[in-house]
Amino acid sequence: MFNQRRNLRESADEDLMVLVRDGDARAFEVLFDRHAGPAFSLAYRMCGSRSRAEDVIQEAFLSLWRAGARYDPSRGSVRGWILSAVHNRAVDSFRRQAARPAGSLEEAGVIDRLASAELTEVEVERRADAERLRQALSELPDEQRKVVELSYFGGFTHQQISDMLSLPAGTVKGRMRLALTKLRLSLDEAGVIP
Amino acid sequence: MSGMHDCGGDAAAYALGALEPREADAFREHLRECAVCRDEVQALGAVVHALPMTPRQYEVPRGLRRKVLSQVREERRAPRRRSRLGLASPLRGVLAASVAAAAAVAVVLAGVGLSAGAPATVVRARTAGITGSAQLRVVRGHAELVVRHLTPPGRGRVYEVWLQSGTAAPVSASVLFTVDASGNADVGIPGGIRHVSAVLVTPEPLGGTAKPTHAPVIIAHLA
Ligand SMILES: [Zn+2]
Repeated sequence: MFNQRRNLRESADEDLMVLVRDGDARAFEVLFDRHAGPAFSLAYRMCGSRSRAEDVIQEAFLSLWRAGARYDPSRGSVRGWILSAVHNRAVDSFRRQAARPAGSLEEAGVIDRLASAELTEVEVERRADAERLRQALSELPDEQRKVVELSYFGGFTHQQISDMLSLPAGTVKGRMRLALTKLRLSLDEAGVIP
Repeated sequence: MSGMHDCGGDAAAYALGALEPREADAFREHLRECAVCRDEVQALGAVVHALPMTPRQYEVPRGLRRKVLSQVREERRAPRRRSRLGLASPLRGVLAASVAAAAAVAVVLAGVGLSAGAPATVVRARTAGITGSAQLRVVRGHAELVVRHLTPPGRGRVYEVWLQSGTAAPVSASVLFTVDASGNADVGIPGGIRHVSAVLVTPEPLGGTAKPTHAPVIIAHLA
């Protein structure tokens, strides 16, 4: 047990989840430190406000603490599970409050940018992959990038997006398909997706 | 219906979660019998799966880290640990990890009508200014507070349990708790309550306080 505690920081996410399920607050802390940065960055991108992003993160991580038993390793990584919990919560909160940030969500400089010197090797790798996708996104034609951003980060349906952009039904779906297909190709080329 | 489906037309929107709910249901039906769309959803889904890492990366605000971790530690202090025994929810939170808890489980089960062990005395508690119900289950001088559909303590606050003996000022039971999404919690009260005349709960700032700063929202009088 002592060894296990000492090695928490080196433990795999999946092993930490087992401890969290049994109520181990220190294992939870390690998971928080590993994943809360990207989780917060996602929530902030989606909510456009620091306080709403904080609420989303608090809810998502406390539910991980209370319901960690629901994590199923066969369905993906802990990181992916946490980020999709954050995404779902943010979208729920938009739909509940019928309000969300409009337009572009460029961040105000109120929060510390991450110092990359502190990143682990795994994290550096993850972020390099993310950087390739970010690059590919930025190379999409504006109208294609926009439908991806509005749907994924804004939580809007294709119908809402066609209303917003005054586009005929079907056009938005078509743009989504073009955009994701191109992104997929560039990730394949970069070897991000095997 | 599925034969008429425009294959490929919906896969991207579906992967992005952008179909209207009814369309999504129909498309899920379609996916069961269409390998073409299944493949496309899988291919495009991998892209969507990578999107959450693309925003500019920030450090977690320090206050947020503190807030989340202190709440977790508080919930840890209030023994609401999950069991691996798979009991239905009203009893689940009762289970602490210790051996002693195994005995307690038996008696609480007895208290709700199963056989064996000493019966639990149930004391109905009064709530004030919040909705929901609360009761105290007492077995052999040990108590557990069971709350259902209770109003959450509010942002930045936590419920704190107090023990009162006679007319003396209430003393903190060193138990802080919050409720789950349904407003439920089973909160073990450490130590005996033989000399306690009332169990009180107040909403307090995270971390709790040494003296109540708010009127009790749950009051359970013990005979
Ligand atoms: Zn199809």
